[in-house]
Amino acid sequence: MKLKEVDRTAMQAWSPAQNHPIYLATGTSAQQLDATFSTSASLEIFEFDLSDPSLDMKSCATFSSSHRYHKLIWGPHKMDSKGNVSGVLIAGGENGNIILYDPSKIIAGDKEVVIAQNDKHTGPVRALDVNIFQTNLVASGANESEIYIWDLNNFATPMTPGAKTQPPEDISCVAWNRQVQHILASASPSGRATVWDLRKNEPIIKVSDHSNRMHCSGLAWHPDVATQMVLASEDDRLPVVQMWDLRFASSPLRVLENHARGILAIAWSMADPELLLSCGKDAKILCSNPNTGEVLYELPTNTQWCFDIQWCPRNPAVLSAASFDGRISVYSIMGGSADGLRQKQVDKLSSSFGNLDPFGTGQPLPPLQIPQQTAQHNIVLPLKKPPKWTRRPVGASFSFGGKLVTFENGRVQAQQGAEPHHHVFVSQVVTEEEFLRRSDQLQQVVRSQGFVSYCQKKIEASQTEFEKNVWSFLKVNFEDDSRGKYLELLGYRKEDLGKKIAVALSKVDGPNACIKEGKQESEFLPSAGGTFNISISGDIDGLITQALLTGNFESAVDLCLHDNRMADAIILAIAGGQELLAQTQKKYFAKSQSKITRLITAVVMKNWKEIVESCDLKNWREALAAVLTYAKPDEFSTLCDLLGTRLENEGDSLLQTQACLCYICAGNVEKLVACWTKAQDGSNPLSLQDLIEKVVILRKAVQLTQAMDTNTVGVLLAEKMSQYANLLAAQGSIAAALAFLPENTNQPNIVQLRDRLCKAQGQPIPGQESSKTPYDRQQLPKGRPGPVAGHTQMPRVPAQQYYPHGENPPPPGFIMHGNVNPNAATAQLPTSPGHMHTQVPPYPQPQRPQNGWNDPPALNRVPKKKKMPENFMPPVPITSPIMNPLGDPQSQMLPQQPSVPAPLSSQASFPQPHLAGGQTFHGVQQPLGQPGMPPSFSKPNIEGAPGAPIGNTIQHVQSLPTEKITKKPIPDEHLILKTTFEDLIQRCLSSATDPQTKRKLDDASKRLEFLYDKLREQTLSPTIISGLHNIARSIESRNYSEGLTIHTHIVSTSNFSETSAFMPVLKVVLTQANKLGV
Amino acid sequence: MEFGDASLLPENDAAWRLDYYQHDAQMDYYGTRLATCSSDRSVKIFDVRNGGQILIADLRGHEGPVWQVAWAHPMYGNILASCSYDRKVIIWKEENGTWEKTHEHTGHDSSVNSVCWAPHDYGLILACGSSDGAISLLTYTGEGQWEVKKINNAHTIGCNAVSWAPAVVPGSLIDQPSGQKPNYIKKFASGGCDNLIKLWKEEEDGQWKEEQKLEAHSDWVRDVAWAPSIGLPTSTIASCSQDGRVFIWTCDDTSGNTWSPKLLHKFNDVVWHVSWSITANILAVSGGDNKVTLWKESVDGQWVCISDVNKGQGSVSASVTEGQQNEQ
Repeated sequence: MKLKEVDRTAMQAWSPAQNHPIYLATGTSAQQLDATFSTSASLEIFEFDLSDPSLDMKSCATFSSSHRYHKLIWGPHKMDSKGNVSGVLIAGGENGNIILYDPSKIIAGDKEVVIAQNDKHTGPVRALDVNIFQTNLVASGANESEIYIWDLNNFATPMTPGAKTQPPEDISCVAWNRQVQHILASASPSGRATVWDLRKNEPIIKVSDHSNRMHCSGLAWHPDVATQMVLASEDDRLPVVQMWDLRFASSPLRVLENHARGILAIAWSMADPELLLSCGKDAKILCSNPNTGEVLYELPTNTQWCFDIQWCPRNPAVLSAASFDGRISVYSIMGGSADGLRQKQVDKLSSSFGNLDPFGTGQPLPPLQIPQQTAQHNIVLPLKKPPKWTRRPVGASFSFGGKLVTFENGRVQAQQGAEPHHHVFVSQVVTEEEFLRRSDQLQQVVRSQGFVSYCQKKIEASQTEFEKNVWSFLKVNFEDDSRGKYLELLGYRKEDLGKKIAVALSKVDGPNACIKEGKQESEFLPSAGGTFNISISGDIDGLITQALLTGNFESAVDLCLHDNRMADAIILAIAGGQELLAQTQKKYFAKSQSKITRLITAVVMKNWKEIVESCDLKNWREALAAVLTYAKPDEFSTLCDLLGTRLENEGDSLLQTQACLCYICAGNVEKLVACWTKAQDGSNPLSLQDLIEKVVILRKAVQLTQAMDTNTVGVLLAEKMSQYANLLAAQGSIAAALAFLPENTNQPNIVQLRDRLCKAQGQPIPGQESSKTPYDRQQLPKGRPGPVAGHTQMPRVPAQQYYPHGENPPPPGFIMHGNVNPNAATAQLPTSPGHMHTQVPPYPQPQRPQNGWNDPPALNRVPKKKKMPENFMPPVPITSPIMNPLGDPQSQMLPQQPSVPAPLSSQASFPQPHLAGGQTFHGVQQPLGQPGMPPSFSKPNIEGAPGAPIGNTIQHVQSLPTEKITKKPIPDEHLILKTTFEDLIQRCLSSATDPQTKRKLDDASKRLEFLYDKLREQTLSPTIISGLHNIARSIESRNYSEGLTIHTHIVSTSNFSETSAFMPVLKVVLTQANKLGV
Repeated sequence: MEFGDASLLPENDAAWRLDYYQHDAQMDYYGTRLATCSSDRSVKIFDVRNGGQILIADLRGHEGPVWQVAWAHPMYGNILASCSYDRKVIIWKEENGTWEKTHEHTGHDSSVNSVCWAPHDYGLILACGSSDGAISLLTYTGEGQWEVKKINNAHTIGCNAVSWAPAVVPGSLIDQPSGQKPNYIKKFASGGCDNLIKLWKEEEDGQWKEEQKLEAHSDWVRDVAWAPSIGLPTSTIASCSQDGRVFIWTCDDTSGNTWSPKLLHKFNDVVWHVSWSITANILAVSGGDNKVTLWKESVDGQWVCISDVNKGQGSVSASVTEGQQNEQ
């Protein structure tokens, strides 16, 4: 495809490969006259700019020369790698002269552009070549067999390669060897080529086919093979290119007879030794493979001959050809269509003329019809073989999981015949060792549930106080009495406080106490024992007395308040009932102005929101402490959140980070992530690791402490977790990435990543084979409902039955519900905290319909909790003074007071199985409450002040009536059916090898639940029951075929709807058992 | 050094010798199948799960060396595109376990050097860069039909590489009202023999328009790679060239359309290929000296070579081990 055109009849030279941009120098040809027969001459430099779509070349400089040229070359002499000096232009003139020009000066427009000049030669200098090893060496050839070697550093005196060849002849070409720097070849129209060794200073070999028709117009050395060269003949009788190997110099190695008439010029590509250009008097420009003789490409040219042809040294696909019609054309050998170029020219033309009415004729131009044949002609096919420079020798591409796929092709050593090697290989790229190490640690912790020691280690390793705090807070989550510990972390130790109070009391009251007491005693003694005077005088006392006597508590209280007798007022208000007490409190607070009133107000009124919302943020610790002490479980998280949010929004940067602590208390993972991310640079893998460690631990903690609300994965958390998993995957830790990915979320990025990770692990369908995920092995035992006889194996159902294709796959091993023995309620009570931990799945489970089609109905278990904030009883608000009027019937009516027996504090940390569906004990305890039981005051073992947190020490001793929520037992006489069938499934499972069978069996086990239900309900007909017993007996005798026969009989004789739920699976089990021979 | 040196762990037997000049090797989305293409005109697919190398398919259809292969996103099925010196682009599809040619694109006049699938969010769109200077975009319109758009003369004398920008909705990086089709702006980068990198953008009328010209290379641009999005408001492109240079181009999306180049390194030989890790933090640079190096940006924004994978002539696993030793 033609790229550029210059209308010059000129010799041409490309700028050296190092040069950027690419220039093309032209020097007026001495041999050809252009149409004007002008004798003026010039040296011009054009820029080859491919970003300019036009066919024109931009002329950079023109130097009017007094010489016309037979040969022009551009050597890289003195060019540095940056191309600051643009080399030297070497021109062969008409009269034995060689002129050196400085192209940079020409471009700059200088007048003095000639570096040096020498006219030592005789006749026109037609041959010039620069030594590619020593670019200061230039060979030249002229008439009379003259060959000179010039040193550009010392241009005055040339050397000769040896004695002149005889008879004297014109030298048409000279060429330096491309491999051996001291070898030079020359050729003459007589057809002889001579190879010179400059070290020996003599010709070492003469190459000639003795045909006398070889008229050398071109000579070129093989770019790679030192001993090979080609000669081109200008003679129409022998229009050939001969390939010679000096080792067999008697005849040409190969003769390329592709031209019909004499060849005028050749050029061998330095970029690909299989590309040799030749142009001839047949007006063809051919590109052939000199090693095979095959013509690879014919350039589309006009009918004019070309007398000079050159590869562009820098752009290997580009060549230029000078033709006798006074034009230098630049072509690409990569083919392609010139339509685009042409269209641009048309566009350019139209725009110059004005698009619609170029000639102002009032009529727009008709659309230009480009003739069909032209269009066809414009499509030029590329070279038959791909040029070497298009072949990538090497390439490495990343793929999922941090794998690097590399292909590599060894260098082809043509002359050595070395076998080229081609490799493809896969390597694992690991760049984040520390990150992986820590991630692995975290995983182990999750697996081993060793959270406390992990947190402790983190605390010890913490670099900053804040980090230490965060880990301390996280650690507390896994300890008993978390709220108390939180308080300690905030600087409120109950023991310390107790001591301080004791000290304070002894100081204040110390000396006077006795006196006061004595006084009181003396005052009270008479009232206790003897009579006392009821004054009904007109003063306040009297009025109060009167009011009391008439039962008008309200007025009495008002009077007391008015008289500032606060204590009396409150005491009276208690007697006056709940409503009055509340009013009195309000009035009291309205009157009281002390510093701590607001706190007291909040404590009494239980208005923690007020504290959290309006406290000075500097006091956030105190506010958090108050919340920790008093807040009810249902508002605890919200309050912590609220405080955190305030810190984050209103606080300075220091306080903002402290918000994290609030979020940890609140168990709000999402907000922790948000807050943390704001403060940290999350893009660094290690800082992401920092965050994820906390998040994972906190999520664990939340799972342990709060059964509810752990399942949602927020957008931000999902984002961070998937980022984390992506990082792990990128380091090749696919299994770890899967393990950390939250399971129960529909966040698309997580769902997609999970799918990708599963498949990357070689699992065909995500979810189906989820048993391979690392946590599943952990979970299988967790799914068991504890040490219950007959439940040695948890029935499993293929996950995709829960979730249709395309939906979020369920987490592995999600089988927390199902198959709960009616007696399990007691059996499930874990005996140690360690055991309890294993009951908790590593990640929250999705909320899903609890009664799937194959789920057994009724009792569902919820992951157990370590501490049950739902059961947390907030301290009884101080609605009454310390002296609770025991036996006062009104006090029984106070709401909020837990009416349950006092627990043993040693039981505090035991979790409780409780109802699913979010129903807490709060809701049900009221009807169960035992009237008359002492309220909160009856918990004598509570340390600290009244109202201190006692909630997590409560143990409900009473169990709920179980009839409503548990299944009836299977009648004893039919229990054998269950144990037999389950035992059989177990045996099958243990001998089955392929996962498909195991799935089938798991499913069967699950579905047999329907049978057991029917047994419990005793709804099966006696025929079926007896049939089933027969099957059981045949199973016991391992006669499965008999069992199958009975099975068929039952199915054929019974009502389909009665048996369809379980009979088919029973058949599956029997068939499998038969097959496995268990 | 800021980073721990990368180590390359040889996967079991995950290396093999092939008889022909290899031009490309690409893993599928999951990293479980490897497609290779070579000078023998074939495209081969291997199952490489668990370190295996089972030949699944040997796809014949090209009439010249096959330059590149590209896997489509699995949501469209198992689809592979290949491009060849024979001027053709072939799209292969696995149906019922057998791979077959599903489409052949013959719209180029010269070697097709590069194929790249658009982000899956846009549908099935394939960009193809050719030595004829044009870039064509094939869009699957359903029922076996492919619509072709062509950018003529995108790169004079040849386009060497195409690479799509990740699907990012302008303005909002995270929040997108659900149910509403996101208003993606489709973009891709191309590199060519005119030493230029060009960025192309689909206009509202569906036409492709040159949006940017990135000039820094002084020779053919051999490869461009648009970095995967990691949620930051910065776009990044890596480019490598015949001139031995590798540039990292960044554009802060908020600051409009200004791209600034940063020289990653000047190599002594042609740099043929650049590839981003999925997490966009490591760049693999493949040079003409048959060296693969891994680069990572340090905290202060400098690009640091973290591994030098220099393969010897010996066995492959040994050579990878050698790579471990040749750390810079």
